[in-house]
Amino acid sequence: MSQTLLPRLVATILLLVAWQAMALSGLLFRDVVPPLQAIASGVGGVLGDSGFYANLAITGFELAVALVLGGAGGLIAGLALGGSRFLSQALERWLNYLGPTPKIILFPVLIMMFGVGAGSKMAMGAVSCFFPIAISVAAGVRGVDPKLLQVGRSLRAGRLQMLTKIYLPAMLAPLVNGARLGFGVALIGVLLAETKLSNQGVGFLIMQAYQRFDMPRMYGLLLVTVAFAAAVNIATDRLAIRLRGSRVRANK
Amino acid sequence: MTDAALLSVSRVTKRYGPRNGGLTAVDDMSFAVERGEFVSVIGPSGCGKSTLFHIIGGLTQATEGRVSVEGEAITGPHPAIGMVFQEESCFPWRNVIDNVAFPLELAGQGRASRHATAQGFIDLVGLRGFEQRHPSELSGGMRQRVCIARTLAARPRLLLMDEPFASLDEQTRMLLGDKVLQIQQQLHQTTLLITHSITEAVQLSDRVIVMSYRPGRLKRTLAINLPRPRTADILVSPEFGTYVAELWNDLRQEATRGLAEAEG
Ligand SMILES: Nc1ncnc2c1ncn2[C@@H]1O[C@H](COP(=O)(O)OP(=O)(O)OP(=O)(O)O)[C@@H](O)[C@H]1O
Ligand SMILES: [Mg+2]
Repeated sequence: MSQTLLPRLVATILLLVAWQAMALSGLLFRDVVPPLQAIASGVGGVLGDSGFYANLAITGFELAVALVLGGAGGLIAGLALGGSRFLSQALERWLNYLGPTPKIILFPVLIMMFGVGAGSKMAMGAVSCFFPIAISVAAGVRGVDPKLLQVGRSLRAGRLQMLTKIYLPAMLAPLVNGARLGFGVALIGVLLAETKLSNQGVGFLIMQAYQRFDMPRMYGLLLVTVAFAAAVNIATDRLAIRLRGSRVRANK
Repeated sequence: MTDAALLSVSRVTKRYGPRNGGLTAVDDMSFAVERGEFVSVIGPSGCGKSTLFHIIGGLTQATEGRVSVEGEAITGPHPAIGMVFQEESCFPWRNVIDNVAFPLELAGQGRASRHATAQGFIDLVGLRGFEQRHPSELSGGMRQRVCIARTLAARPRLLLMDEPFASLDEQTRMLLGDKVLQIQQQLHQTTLLITHSITEAVQLSDRVIVMSYRPGRLKRTLAINLPRPRTADILVSPEFGTYVAELWNDLRQEATRGLAEAEG
C-alpha cells in the first residue's frame, strides 16, 4: 500500500498543478477550465445544497431498483444459459452482441414503455446491468469444477440444493465481478437517461448546471458523483475480499 | 433377499459412441461384492476403471448389463453407495467439519447433530483438531481424508473409491492405506477400491479383481488369504510377496500392451 502511495501522490499533485496552470493561462475559453478554488467552492456549494441531496436520493433510488431488477434478471438468465447447452447455443451469441451496444439507443423505446419519469431511468439502468451480470454468471456456471458437481449428484442433492450449496458458493468470484461491472454500467445508464430527458436526479442537475454555464457547480457535481461511484466500488472490493478471506481464515 | 450380494455387477459393457472415439471402455464385466468384503479392482491406466466406478455409482449409464445393490437395479446415484473420487473434491469454501457434514446437511439435519456426527468421522480419519481449517490449509493427503470422511458420514453400505491416493506421494499413500485398514476394521465397511497399486490392493483386500487393457475385461480374481487384522507388518511377509508377484505377472502383459498402444 505505502509503496503505491508516493507515485499516486506525485501524480495527483502534478495533475492539480497542470490544471491550475491551464486555468490561469487564459488559453482556453474562460471557465471551461475553472481554477481549483472555483471548483472547490463548487463542490462546497453542491454539498451545502439541500436540493442536491433530494436529487441524489432520487438517483440512488432509481439505481437501487435498476440493480435489483437487472441483477435478478441477469442472474436468472446467466444461470439458465450456463446450465443449458441448448439455450446457450441459441441465445448467447445475441447476449454477446447486445452486451457492448450502448443501451442509450433503447431509451426512446423505454420512454414509450415506462414514461418520462423515474420508470424509464430505472429501466435504462436495469437493461444496462442485465448484460454484464448475465454474461459473467453464465461463464461462472460453466467454470464450476465438475468434480464438485459430481459430489453433489452422487449424494443426490436436489436442484435447489445444487444451486445454493454448490453452484452459488463456487461462483463467488464471477458473481462479485458481475455485480461490480453491473453497478458501473447501471450508474452510467441512469445518469445518462437523466441527462437526456428528466427534471430530477443528479444527471439532470449536471445538465442544468451546464446549460446555465455554471462550470464550478458542474465540476462540483461531477466530482461528487465520481467520489460516490468510487466509494461503492471500494466497498464491493472490500466485501469481496472479506468473503474470500472468510474461506481461508480459520476461526482460530 | 438377505443372501444376495451387496453389490452385483452383471455383464456390464460400456461403449463410447463414434463421436467420443468409438471405444469399448468396459467389456462384459461380472462380479459381486459380499457384505463386509473388501474388494479391489486393479488394472493399468486407461483400462476403464473410472468408467466402471461411474457406472456403479450411477453417474454414467452402462451400454449393456446391470448393476444392482441389495438386489435393486441401479438407475442413478443410490443412497446405499458412497463415492470417493479420483481427483480431490473437497468444497474449498467449507471448513473441514462443514465439508464432512455436507451429506447430513443435504438430508436436512440440524447443525448441532450433524456436527456431532461429522466429528466422529473426522476423528476416525485422524483429523481431530483441524475441524475449522479450510481445504487450502491442508495437505493433499489430509484433503483426501476429508473426502473419505464426508463420504462415510452419509453412512453408505458400500464405500466405492476410485484411486483415492493416486495423486499422493509414496509415504502418504502407505499411511493412508493403514488408515483405510483401520477404518475397515472399525466399521466393517464393505468397500470396493479401484487402484493401480499392487501393494495397496494386496495389503487391503480380501479379493483382487484384475482388469485387462482394451477392452477392459475381467482377467482374473485373486483371493488374498492373509490374516486380519492386518498391520504394516504384512508388507514384508513372504505370502505378501507371493501375492504381489502373482498379480504383477498378470498385470505386466496388460501394462506393457497399454504402454505400447499409448506410444502408438
Ligand atoms: N466420456 C468419455 N468419452 C470417450 N472416451 C472416454 C470417456 N471417458 C473415458 N474414455 C476412455 O475410456 C478409456 C477408459 O477410461 P477410464 O478413465 O475409465 O480409465 P482408468 O482405468 O480410470 O484410467 P486411469 O488409471 O488413468 O484413471 C480411456 O481410453 C478413455 O480415453
Ligand atoms: Mg481412473
